[in-house]
Amino acid sequence: MASSRDDFIIAIRSAFLKKSTQQKFSLLTLVFISILVIILSNLDLRVIKYIKIGINELVYRSSFVVSIPENLAKNTFTEVSDYTTFFKDYKKTKDELNILKSKDISSEITQYENKELKELINDYISSSDKILAKIIVDHDSPFLKSIIINKGSKDNIKIGTNVYDQSYLVGRVIEVNFKTARVLLLSDLNSNVPVTIAPQNVQAIITGRGDDFAEIKYIKQGLDNEFDEKSIVYTSGTGAIFKSGIPIGKVRIEESDKSKKFNVEFYSDFSQLKYVFVEVVTTSEINLETEKENEDIQTPINAKLKILEDELKIIEQSNIKFKDENENLKTQINELNNMITKFQGEILDQKQIINQFDLDKNELEFLRLNLDYGHKCRKSFFNNKGYIVGTTEYKSCVLNRGRINE
Amino acid sequence: MSSLKTRGFYYKIYSLLPIIILFISVLNEFDFNYLNLDYFSFNFPFILIFFFTIKEFKHFDYLLVFFAGLINDTVVGMPLGVSSLSYILICIATSYFRNITIRPNPIKDWFYFLFIISLLNSVNFSILTLFFSYKLILMDYLVNTFFTFLFYIVFVSLFKYYLKGLDD
Repeated sequence: MASSRDDFIIAIRSAFLKKSTQQKFSLLTLVFISILVIILSNLDLRVIKYIKIGINELVYRSSFVVSIPENLAKNTFTEVSDYTTFFKDYKKTKDELNILKSKDISSEITQYENKELKELINDYISSSDKILAKIIVDHDSPFLKSIIINKGSKDNIKIGTNVYDQSYLVGRVIEVNFKTARVLLLSDLNSNVPVTIAPQNVQAIITGRGDDFAEIKYIKQGLDNEFDEKSIVYTSGTGAIFKSGIPIGKVRIEESDKSKKFNVEFYSDFSQLKYVFVEVVTTSEINLETEKENEDIQTPINAKLKILEDELKIIEQSNIKFKDENENLKTQINELNNMITKFQGEILDQKQIINQFDLDKNELEFLRLNLDYGHKCRKSFFNNKGYIVGTTEYKSCVLNRGRINE
Repeated sequence: MSSLKTRGFYYKIYSLLPIIILFISVLNEFDFNYLNLDYFSFNFPFILIFFFTIKEFKHFDYLLVFFAGLINDTVVGMPLGVSSLSYILICIATSYFRNITIRPNPIKDWFYFLFIISLLNSVNFSILTLFFSYKLILMDYLVNTFFTFLFYIVFVSLFKYYLKGLDD
């Protein structure tokens, strides 16, 4: 018993302490160094920070170079599979583009309105420049979902900087080196994003699942029943880690016998990322035209007065414009009235002519009938029932074609 | 003369191949993850280190293994030193196993490997979740352990060819 225990101790001691001819350090020393490295790397010391940045820069670049053959093979495989579905995708993209174009216009309008409103409340304007960054390391680890980009503190990137694929959110920067940075993807288990789910307008937090989906968490009970597969998820901006209104994905409902799970399917395919946009935000106060104006709007009351003055100017200008328009309209009305009077005179003349024409026509008819029936109506020696020529009775007798009214 | 020198150079490169492959694998994360097969992943450095340290391969320097661990941590984004500790613990385990083994048996090695990687992945998981508050999926670790165990036998046969080539 004792001998087997001794053997065990000897074997362990030998394993830890024995150095073969080629080894410079014993394994025990290396174990201690490893533990020391773990402890030191988590201390927030400047020296360690710089050493870490140096190591990161070197390793990321080396990793990029070493990954070139594998990436080449991977890209070739992806390109070949892309070509097979190229035409189908093209048609789909074309349709989507048309829809997006129309949406883009309304989006621009909203942005302008937003800017105007911010100016009105004297808010800060965040002018953001999206810079293109290349992904130099993306190993799609099963445990941690992160990528390395070729932009760092040199390009004004800070921890927490938002990273996009087109206009979709893909993650945020969690480690910044001089010319590289690590981005934690939204799919990572450690990623939590405060979001708004539209159109239900429900606030929630999404957490990465380690695959292509995220899970919707922390929703008030009962509100989740309102979700459907058309619901979209975008950042709410709560906590100021992510900007508000950045699209993330669509709601996907996973139903099982006992429960119903709400997931988010990301708009962006994280496994296909090659380039991303990094938003470098510079916060600045609103620039006004002159220094004097700058001084004037130092206090909120002055700012409000300035806005009111501007509004007054606009109203006065529009008043003058309306007056001018009014004058023009009056002149036009007068001209039109004159024309109406003229036309009325013309109509009267026309009517007179028509009346005259009617009279002439009746007279002509009477004369014509007089020739035929005058002898029947005229009073004479042989016709004592007739009338004296020129009387009304005579005329009516002629018009009645010689019939004498008894 | 020059041909001898050239042959010496190639021999040196060939003899350093395991350590070169180790560095390439940690820099490149050689694990076919981009195939997007559900749950599929394996840890190639574990296989490589286990095999060459159990064979007491003289060109396999522990210090370089330690540096490979540091590189792996940097690439993967884990706290520095965690992988180094795992790799060194493999070296210790193999060293101990060598000391207690009189007659080496590949099957015994294989199952000992399973025991070691299970232990190491558990240590890794515990360190990352308990001390660094990382959120990790245990199932991923279990699957990784299983596939690493399965692939061991495949890679061992390849490494044996390599050792045979070195002897020739």
